Amino acid sequence: MVEEIKERFFEDLNSAEDLQKLNAIRVKYLGKKGVLTAQLKLLPSLPPSERPLVGKLINEIKVLIEKELSSKEAFLKEAELKKQLLSEYIDITLPGKYTPFGSEHPLNKVLAEIIDIFIRMGFSVEEGPEVELDYYNFEALNIPKEHPARDMQDTFYISDEILLRTHTSPVQIRGMIKRTPPVRFIAPGKVYRCDADISHTPMFHQVEGLMIDENVTFSNLKGVLVTFIHLMFGQDVPVRFRPSFFPFTEPSAEVDMGCILCRCHGCRVCKNSGWLEILGAGMVHPVVLENVGYDTERYNGFAFGMGVERIAMLKYQIDDIRLFFENDIRFLRQF
Amino acid sequence: MRVPIEWLKEYIDIEVSAEEIAKVLTNIGHEVEAIERFEDDTVLEVNITPNRPDCLSIFGIARELSAFFRKPLRFPEIYLTEEKADEIDFKIDILDPDLCNRYAGCIVKGVKIEPSPPWMARRLEKCGIRAINNIVDITNYVLLELGHPLHAFDLDTLKGKCIRVGTPQSVTGNQTSLITKTLDGIAREIPSSGLLIWDAEEPIAIAGIMGGLDTEVKDATENIFLESAYFNPLSILRTSKVLGLKTESSYRFEKGTDINMLEKALLRATFLMRRIAGGEVYGKLDVYPKLFAPKTVILRYRRVNSILGLNLSKDYVYDIIERLGFEIHGSDEYFTVTPPSFRVDISREIDLVEEIARIFGYDRIPSELPKAQIGFDDTRERVAIAKNNVKESIRTSCLRKGFNEVINFSFMGSQDLDMLKIAENDERRKLVKILNPLRIEDSYMRTTLIPSLIKNVEYNVAHGNRDLRLFEISKVFINKEKPIEGVPHKDSILPEERTHIAAIFYKEKTKTLYRDDIHEFYLMKGVIEAILENLKIDNHLFVRSSEGFLHPGQSADLFINDIKIGFVGTLAPFVYENLEIRAYRPRIVVFELNLDCIIQFSKKDIIYRQLSKYPYIERDTAIIVDSTLESSVLRDLINQHRSDLIEGFYIFDVYQGDNIPKGKKSIAFNLRYRASDRTLTDEDVDKIHNALITYILEKTGGQIRT
Ligand SMILES: [Zn+2]
Repeated sequence: MVEEIKERFFEDLNSAEDLQKLNAIRVKYLGKKGVLTAQLKLLPSLPPSERPLVGKLINEIKVLIEKELSSKEAFLKEAELKKQLLSEYIDITLPGKYTPFGSEHPLNKVLAEIIDIFIRMGFSVEEGPEVELDYYNFEALNIPKEHPARDMQDTFYISDEILLRTHTSPVQIRGMIKRTPPVRFIAPGKVYRCDADISHTPMFHQVEGLMIDENVTFSNLKGVLVTFIHLMFGQDVPVRFRPSFFPFTEPSAEVDMGCILCRCHGCRVCKNSGWLEILGAGMVHPVVLENVGYDTERYNGFAFGMGVERIAMLKYQIDDIRLFFENDIRFLRQF
Repeated sequence: MRVPIEWLKEYIDIEVSAEEIAKVLTNIGHEVEAIERFEDDTVLEVNITPNRPDCLSIFGIARELSAFFRKPLRFPEIYLTEEKADEIDFKIDILDPDLCNRYAGCIVKGVKIEPSPPWMARRLEKCGIRAINNIVDITNYVLLELGHPLHAFDLDTLKGKCIRVGTPQSVTGNQTSLITKTLDGIAREIPSSGLLIWDAEEPIAIAGIMGGLDTEVKDATENIFLESAYFNPLSILRTSKVLGLKTESSYRFEKGTDINMLEKALLRATFLMRRIAGGEVYGKLDVYPKLFAPKTVILRYRRVNSILGLNLSKDYVYDIIERLGFEIHGSDEYFTVTPPSFRVDISREIDLVEEIARIFGYDRIPSELPKAQIGFDDTRERVAIAKNNVKESIRTSCLRKGFNEVINFSFMGSQDLDMLKIAENDERRKLVKILNPLRIEDSYMRTTLIPSLIKNVEYNVAHGNRDLRLFEISKVFINKEKPIEGVPHKDSILPEERTHIAAIFYKEKTKTLYRDDIHEFYLMKGVIEAILENLKIDNHLFVRSSEGFLHPGQSADLFINDIKIGFVGTLAPFVYENLEIRAYRPRIVVFELNLDCIIQFSKKDIIYRQLSKYPYIERDTAIIVDSTLESSVLRDLINQHRSDLIEGFYIFDVYQGDNIPKGKKSIAFNLRYRASDRTLTDEDVDKIHNALITYILEKTGGQIRT
């Protein structure tokens, strides 16, 4: 009899495909009106000698059924969860919904790097007007009216006295007038020259640097600029200083670094020389220091200037300066 | 300047390669930009800096190399005998001795005009000068060889056996300009202060710049008057500029020629004429009213070391200066140095320091970081840091919001303002005008960044870029009508420079994978709100915009403390009419803010507020109001009713349509209540919330949506 119940239970259990059916089975066997309860109710009608044995058997089967039911239940629950999760699958290969971060303009990106390096070397950052007085742009920098050096720079004029600054050097003068030595700052910004072709745009960016103190030497100028170039382009880049001419520095130097594209073997970018012009520099001309009322016997110093476009072009291997100002987002997004 | 090595070696014996010569020249300040090979020669392209006119000749370059290599210099052969000096019947008269310090000349008779000998023609050609005839070529040859310009006149075309040197003013006594024809056949107007060469009757050449057409050497010329003079550099520069005429000759005169080379150049040319053109040379005339007086410069050799960071000996310094052809006398502390007449660039001690540095070699100077004192002006630095922080915070906000940074030229044209119909009395019409713009469209400095950004969108759309978020941080320039009175400082005449930030958003309507149908106005306004929040600015106000180029219904002006900071809005339909954007009813939204103003209002100090430990209670409410009612009214009413217990407020739905009467709309919002010192009960909140809603309904005439 009990064996029969067991057999039927396993038949039912095997046919149970979901939790609902499983529950029905539970009720059928363990419910108040279930099979086992019915069997227990029959106990009193059995002869007393059989009762303990049958009772024991019924209890055993009850434990078995409960165990089987709960393990089947766990199995079905897991199967059901799996089924549900499967139904919630999405195409994870579709692109995500996002707004890409914007991109910094490459010139500002490079500018930020340059500024960071000099700030670490103890320079502060100075600003000056872009529409500037002739006095600051030229005269105070030892470029009097009708000086041949004015031919080197094609100037946009606003009036006889006012122009668009042709370099960031006027900030040197303004910065020195505002301070007393020691003076150490850089001046980044836009500059203008009326010149437009493959390699020139009428507006471009420069960073000017100035250091005035007691006992500043040409050797210090070299130290600062070599350090800058090594931080910007790599520790192993060779640097060369050669004499040049600027009216507001003397001795003046053009600073070249080994071509980073061909590793100094000669290529189109470096015109087969292996060198790239990267900075103009020099010891501040005594006339300039006199113009701002500094004692030239006590103080001297150095100044330097660099083109941000030039550095960005070398760094990112950009071959056309005009790309910076076309603002095509296919270009901008690369930075 | 082009330097053929073969020619160079005529003046100096150096046994080194062209590459080595190029390297040395570059290292001493004459950058060799290119090395060009010929079958039998190598030519160096040397870049001579404007302060070194003495190097604008083959001999000048040889002189530099001679100083560097310590090799003797050979001067070319010149004609020295003056057998017929007394037979000359010719006069030179300098009327403006300040403009012409010295004027010399030679008469050469019976020359035969022919093509130059091949060796000379070839040398000229290698230097980029076309051979014409022997006489003209000799003047060019000597110019390249010695750096001194000469001019040959056809003697028989000169009237009155004399040369006069003077300006139209000093010759005619009038302040009027006059016209003369130069040998390139062009009639040129000479200002009354421009120096000319005259015969007895009329001008025959523009001094130092170009000869006249009538007196030039022709094939039939037999007799020559050869000029060698020293003209005032500034005078030549001025006239050359006025005429827009630059020649090999004017270029050298305006930089300063060697007044002592003048005579040698003349004798060198006559030597060549006699040999090549077969002329008979008559003795030279030389009028020299202003004698050259060399300047002496004091050089302290300790100063050399303290500027360069070197430890050179006194003898070493002495040696370099002497090698360069300077006269030098020593004492214990300093030298007295007299530069030679060709070194017009030397006038101060620092000029000599540079000479020592470049001959010693820049590369041999050690590089050493400075041992500097710290000079720190904390007031100035604090301002600079604050300003930079705000600027960077705004930049970062835009970048995070997906905006690409652009940089445009600072120029614009008046048509850019017309396109936006900017009113005549608008501040943005206070233009800074460029006198010499490259293009008429770039005649002014920008007073707004919007036109450039619109052009960026046009450009990108034309190149197939459809989703555009761009921003720019740049200066704008507002002209001052007149200098601020009572400000003696020159800066008062400069325009006002303001830093602006502007952004533009345009997205072509395309099918997208995910829904993205927010009105662009809200997206842009959101960027501004994010910027302000980041800077802890909360006292701002958006009101309907007064900008004519924005859609009146989709634009707002931003105010902080009653000061207009900028605007945000959709461009008005008329703006699109001129644009090359083909979309049907495109919607472009822009904003522009005055960054300098924002900097003033940004909160510098952040003070932490304690977080409440008690739970919050929220209430959602929907009310039906007139469809014209703006959400700001609701916000203002809640602010007026301000209770310390209201922690937050936001609108989560605005709806018009089914179930809502015509002319009405439903606004649904959430209010969150929390106390900082106790747990609120539902009863507490009901009391406050109901009172607030009653107040709102009363003020707006609305009703609860059920
Ligand atoms: Zn290279």
